[in-house]
Amino acid sequence: MSAGRAIGAALRGLALALALLLVTFPFFWILLTSLKPPELVARADVWLFAPSVANWRDVLFGSSVPRYIGNSVLVGLATVAITLAVGCPAAYAFSRFRVGGGAGRFAILAAEMMPPAVLIVPFFLLMYRLALIDTVWAVVAAHLTFITPVVVWFLIGFIDEVPRELEQQAMVDGYTQFQAFYKVILPVIRPGLAASAIFAFVLSWNDMFYALILTGGAAKTLPVAIAGYWTFRGIEMGKMAVAILISIVPVLIASFFVQKHLVKGLGGGAVKF
Amino acid sequence: MVCPRFLSRLFPLRRRLLLPLALTLLAVMIYPLAFSFWISLHDYRLTRLNDVRFTGVANYLALGNDPAFWTAVVNTLTFVFGAVSLELVIGFTLALLLHRARRFRNLYRSVLLTPMFITPIAVGLMFRFLLNSQLGVIPYLLGKIGARVDWFGPGMALSSIILIDVWQWTPFMLLLLLAGLESLPVPPFEAARVDGASAWLTFRKITLPLMRPVILVALIIRGLDAFKVFEYVYAITRGGPGDSTETVLFHIYKVGFRFFRMGEAAAKAYVVVALTLVLVIVLYWVMTRERRAA
Repeated sequence: MSAGRAIGAALRGLALALALLLVTFPFFWILLTSLKPPELVARADVWLFAPSVANWRDVLFGSSVPRYIGNSVLVGLATVAITLAVGCPAAYAFSRFRVGGGAGRFAILAAEMMPPAVLIVPFFLLMYRLALIDTVWAVVAAHLTFITPVVVWFLIGFIDEVPRELEQQAMVDGYTQFQAFYKVILPVIRPGLAASAIFAFVLSWNDMFYALILTGGAAKTLPVAIAGYWTFRGIEMGKMAVAILISIVPVLIASFFVQKHLVKGLGGGAVKF
Repeated sequence: MVCPRFLSRLFPLRRRLLLPLALTLLAVMIYPLAFSFWISLHDYRLTRLNDVRFTGVANYLALGNDPAFWTAVVNTLTFVFGAVSLELVIGFTLALLLHRARRFRNLYRSVLLTPMFITPIAVGLMFRFLLNSQLGVIPYLLGKIGARVDWFGPGMALSSIILIDVWQWTPFMLLLLLAGLESLPVPPFEAARVDGASAWLTFRKITLPLMRPVILVALIIRGLDAFKVFEYVYAITRGGPGDSTETVLFHIYKVGFRFFRMGEAAAKAYVVVALTLVLVIVLYWVMTRERRAA
């Protein structure tokens, strides 16, 4: 029995180790590639070499990538700001007044799941008419379509968890309900707000589909720029590795902060964790 | 808020709170959806913007005789089914393993979750490079043990794309399922142990039934999301070889933004919306039913 148990524990350890290896190896290889001198980038058999910063230097100081990073940050921040501004009051209304009942919440969920295929055609034509093609504002508008519903969905969950006595007490003390909302409720759900904001930023930062079609020149975001490194004219693998790492690192740091809240939000209150 | 009385009667607080969201969604969602439907009823080509003709449901009827679209639908369904079922099995296995791990559980979890936070285009290009038959480190390592796989060749490309999706999105299953396991009530498991039930019997008779709502929600959310697969195809195969990896979203992108046939693209997109809505209704029904049962 105890021998069997030891074997079981060993197998479990082995399986976890294998999973860790499969997850981390691609990152390791991309990091290695980004540090290779350009002539070694295509050599899969070279694992040891004198590291070179040539790729990093070329991308950071000799290309437009910093500009595209700026675009991505701008799009992300604008999307988060608008989403929270319109999302917080709405989530409060959904949670406290039960507006629309089940149908209201269902509409939010349906909006969240709306396939981008159906929105991209009218979006492109509208932005073309408005002369907003290849501007960050076109991308912000497109990102609002899928990010606002997710954030509202998350915020409803966070506000649902705040006991009503809190704002009732505030209203006894002379606050209007609206004051109770922004002076009492919003501060209480600050951790949830922060997690939602970070998550919204990550969603915006990671989108390529809308940005690919709505931009093409000066307003390109980082994911679109990354895709441009592998073209029919040739592959610039070392530089692409750098660009990939630049897109990954901030998101991974952010992910450590949101993981716990993410679970609550995604289940949408249906599954109690 | 200070407000004239007649206005506050017309717009009670709950409506005023909803107004910004309603206006935003009206502008970026409802209006484009209506416009899209209008486009789908026209012969609307980007190359002939001055000659847009009303054609009724012709774009929809043409779908009946459009093998490229249905190939894309079948490819996408194969992809969704293959990827999501693998993700469920691997994700559940990992969740059970992590749930029993005493040390470093949070560290393991944080590392194992990382793929789901990365932009899919980066994942696609990363694996295009790693699996490339000339430059790639994985074929190089496999070559050492004498195995040769043409990852993006005919017959293999769709499976490779499924595996890439599994790499990126199994963490999502792990996240939800592990949270589900951690919130299960303890007494049934204690009772099973007192009764001397085997691990397998406990799993089948207690863990699985209790986890059912979490599994269902995870499956549907992931399935809907997998249906939108685009970046891997764009990054790696552009639909090829032949049309073996052409997915629905990539197909619509091609029709609309490579061939400039906007009317046709809009009609195809509306078919996808119909499919999605059915799934969302199922999801909502499952969620409310499970909440009532809980």
